[in-house]
Amino acid sequence: MASIEFSSVGKVFNRAGIDFVTLDGVDLSVAEKEFVAIVGPSGCGKTTCLRMAAGFEFPTLGTVKVNYRDVTAPGPDRAVVFQQFALFPWKTVAQNIELGLRNKGVPKVERQERVKNAIALMSLQGYESAYPHQLSGGMQQRVAIARAYVLEPEVLLMDEPFGALDAQTRVSMQEELVRLARVNPRTVLFITHAVEEAVYLADRVAIMTKRPGRIKEIIDIKSVRLAEKWDEHERIEDVMDLESFVHLRTHIWRSLREEKGSQVH
Amino acid sequence: MTNNRRLIVGFATLAVIAAIWYVMTEATGWISPGRFPTPLDTWDALSQVTFGEYANGALYEHAFHSVKLVLLGFMVAAGIGVPLGLLMGWNSKAEALINPIFLLIRPIPPLAWIPLAILWLGLGDAAKVMVIWFAAFVPSVVNSYTGVKAIDPAVIEAVRMLGTPRWRFIREVMIPAALPMIFTGLRLSLQASWTTLVAAELVGALYGLGRVLNVAQQDIYPGMILVGMISVAILGWATTMILGQVEQRSLRWMQVRG
Ligand SMILES: Nc1ncnc2c1ncn2[C@@H]1O[C@H](COP(=O)(O)OP(=O)(O)OP(=O)(O)O)[C@@H](O)[C@H]1O
Ligand SMILES: [Mg+2]
Repeated sequence: MASIEFSSVGKVFNRAGIDFVTLDGVDLSVAEKEFVAIVGPSGCGKTTCLRMAAGFEFPTLGTVKVNYRDVTAPGPDRAVVFQQFALFPWKTVAQNIELGLRNKGVPKVERQERVKNAIALMSLQGYESAYPHQLSGGMQQRVAIARAYVLEPEVLLMDEPFGALDAQTRVSMQEELVRLARVNPRTVLFITHAVEEAVYLADRVAIMTKRPGRIKEIIDIKSVRLAEKWDEHERIEDVMDLESFVHLRTHIWRSLREEKGSQVH
Repeated sequence: MTNNRRLIVGFATLAVIAAIWYVMTEATGWISPGRFPTPLDTWDALSQVTFGEYANGALYEHAFHSVKLVLLGFMVAAGIGVPLGLLMGWNSKAEALINPIFLLIRPIPPLAWIPLAILWLGLGDAAKVMVIWFAAFVPSVVNSYTGVKAIDPAVIEAVRMLGTPRWRFIREVMIPAALPMIFTGLRLSLQASWTTLVAAELVGALYGLGRVLNVAQQDIYPGMILVGMISVAILGWATTMILGQVEQRSLRWMQVRG
């Protein structure tokens, strides 16, 4: 029952006539309503994987399927939160969030309701008619997240969505994401550099090798989370203090360090 | 406040220049009146062409004629050039098709078309509009094209991810994104329109400010030459101002500061 499925995916980029093998045999499946985080050294091909699921990039070898179909083009069923926001500078916050709903033909009244909810969810109230350049980086990122959430997509593809946030906002967004995942679980592919974030948010964490990227190891978080009752703790710092959390985090950290350690620069 | 101050400073500068002008010509005669008119000569020329006639018409008739041709040529050039530039930026087939024609035409200075235009279309308005078109067309196309090409690829990806239909993409993404560059092109086009019009009227025309300049030169009438030059400057400035206003209105999202 895989909702996103990478099978023996290879990707070769050609730069100035030289082939760069970026991905070499990536196998990864994200089940329906599962939250999978990918961590890995910089440049190992995480974004490339996400872009193939989104339909911006296509595998050189192997297949990428979403809902059992080969990905052929991007679409609103796979909402993307881009690493660099990609907002529309000439549209207000509300207009940015609303565009996808207009494209889907959602009636105006429902549209306004959903935009309002998304704005409230991302704590952007009062900035509805502001333009992106009037917002801080963290707020712009929240607009980008709201623009994806508002579509209520089957699949959410998030590329370091909390990267530009300050520590406090970051924590509250993480808590919010966990709360949302409980109320309304979605299929999520989530890229991050922050190991804690991956362990806290994901059902499973996939660790990638350095370039050419492969999936080195997949860590099951969900079974530990349920067994150790992480959900009974409201706050992220309480969860992060738990022995089971620390154990997983350290394991992933070591695994990543091995990759970084053997990196040739 | 700052606007007022700028106005005052502007007027003060003009007054100083006028004073120096007066001293250099009328008062001391350091510059001979045959080379550069005195303020009084200029005033006489102005009242002559305003209340009487010079070179087949009154000043307002010449001015009206020139403005009409500039606007006509400019609007035809921009009206075709901007959409064409957008199309070339958006569609690589159109780009491949049209670019060679451009590479061929672009190195020819617009003023070099004047003799051919007069040969084909005579001394009337059509020849002027054609020459303005040649001059104003290129900046409109090139800048609109660049504006589309410079759109952030990530924005295009966001558009596709959101499932945006083509016409909405054009209206709500492509054009607004390219608009600052489109206006840069329009401003250059407008300047080029004035330059070529005056040049074309100097070479051969029945009316217009360029015609006034040409006749005044033949009559060795420095006062009238200056009147013609100042008229062109004022009208060029006024049309640029109007375009600037339209630009400011259209690009409001860029000016708002939080
Ligand atoms: N369009 C492209 N053309 C050529 N090379 C590319 C292209 N996109 C990515 N690459 C290369 O593929 C490799 C992986 O890039 P990718 O962006 O997927 O890495 P990443 O894991 O997301 O890195 P980071 O953690 O720094 O964001 C890099 O070496 C990059 O230079
Ligand atoms: Mg990346």
